[in-house]
Amino acid sequence: MTSPSEQPQRNQGKDLGLTLCPSCQQLMPHKETHCSRCGSALAIRDYSSLQKSWALLITAAILLIPANIYPITIFTSQGQTRHDTIFTGITHLIDLNILPIAVILFTASILVPILKICGLTIYLLAISFRLPISKKRLMVGFHVIEWIGRWSMLDLFVISITAAVVNMGQLLDAKPGPAATAFALVILLTQVAAKVLDTRLLWDRLESKDDTNGNTKSS
Amino acid sequence: MPSSVRALCPRCHTAIYDTPYCSLNGMLALCLTAIIFFIPANLLPVLELHFLGSIRTTTIFEGAMAVANQGYWIVAIAVLTSAVIAPGLLLLSMLAQILIIKYRLQVPFFRDILKRLLKYHGLLSQVSMLEIYMISIFVSVFQLTDYTDIYLGMGTFCFAMLFLVTLFLQREYHLEHMWGLLDD
Repeated sequence: MTSPSEQPQRNQGKDLGLTLCPSCQQLMPHKETHCSRCGSALAIRDYSSLQKSWALLITAAILLIPANIYPITIFTSQGQTRHDTIFTGITHLIDLNILPIAVILFTASILVPILKICGLTIYLLAISFRLPISKKRLMVGFHVIEWIGRWSMLDLFVISITAAVVNMGQLLDAKPGPAATAFALVILLTQVAAKVLDTRLLWDRLESKDDTNGNTKSS
Repeated sequence: MPSSVRALCPRCHTAIYDTPYCSLNGMLALCLTAIIFFIPANLLPVLELHFLGSIRTTTIFEGAMAVANQGYWIVAIAVLTSAVIAPGLLLLSMLAQILIIKYRLQVPFFRDILKRLLKYHGLLSQVSMLEIYMISIFVSVFQLTDYTDIYLGMGTFCFAMLFLVTLFLQREYHLEHMWGLLDD
């Protein structure tokens, strides 16, 4: 636990001959091939994860287009049928004066996917092309993306609840639309893209000036 | 390290070491409570709709099936996995882990099971999305109140309790500490 916080030059585990087990976080010398505690394969860095993450992210970005263009719900009320895309669904909610719900849905189904894809793109670009962006800020962003990404599922849950409960033919009826599948895949692919990436790759980049953080906080 | 001390990573400020709250008996109690609530939360309707005298109800499972019947089975699988299957497996896995550690079953067979469960714990807890489903119930209630009368049933209460108990359980639970207990 006594990290070399007094030294100005920070050591990396790679240089000390140590690595973390990816599944149980046991510190292991990297001469070993398998973790002594849980038996998973060890790797100093997983360079292929960058490619995998790029591939998943690009697929997700492409799928985001049909997810937003096609209707996600088909709603019938007294004979009138509305085809709502994600965006028109939210504007409809604003017209009905249910602003808080509109804000929640806007955040969960428009803001979060777009921020997630943009954020991951910046993150991957920073690793691939060694962009001069503060690593600390990138890492914070990455944690935020990982945490907030799950909330996009909200829209799908709402659709499944309403589709099950509102089924009265011409009077009142709600059905999911073709965008639902695309949207589900966007969430899945972006989550996997963030999960698969070996974040240690970021820290291997050359130390830039804005990363000197002398204060080691412990509370 | 003394208790009530946290160590943060000097580079990215993620907690490396946190005081483990893990009291096995406390976790066992929470886990059993959650499993008890899990059953009615899934069997009783989470939402009830009264429209011109007819009553429609839905459980989580029926919600997923309604979407699947329209041909959107990917969505149905996503809903079912994250709201029913993953939370269920998570609770069962935690129960098994706690029992194995509590009764010190040192047979290689049980140690092997414990290892596997601990390995998949991170994945399971990421996939289970009870809190999001909870919010979704309320969002759908607000969306539909314009058209009809909505009632929240006993199932909603059980689901809310399941969510709360699981929340506290996951606060108590500490994966790193559990791995440490494996070595003892």
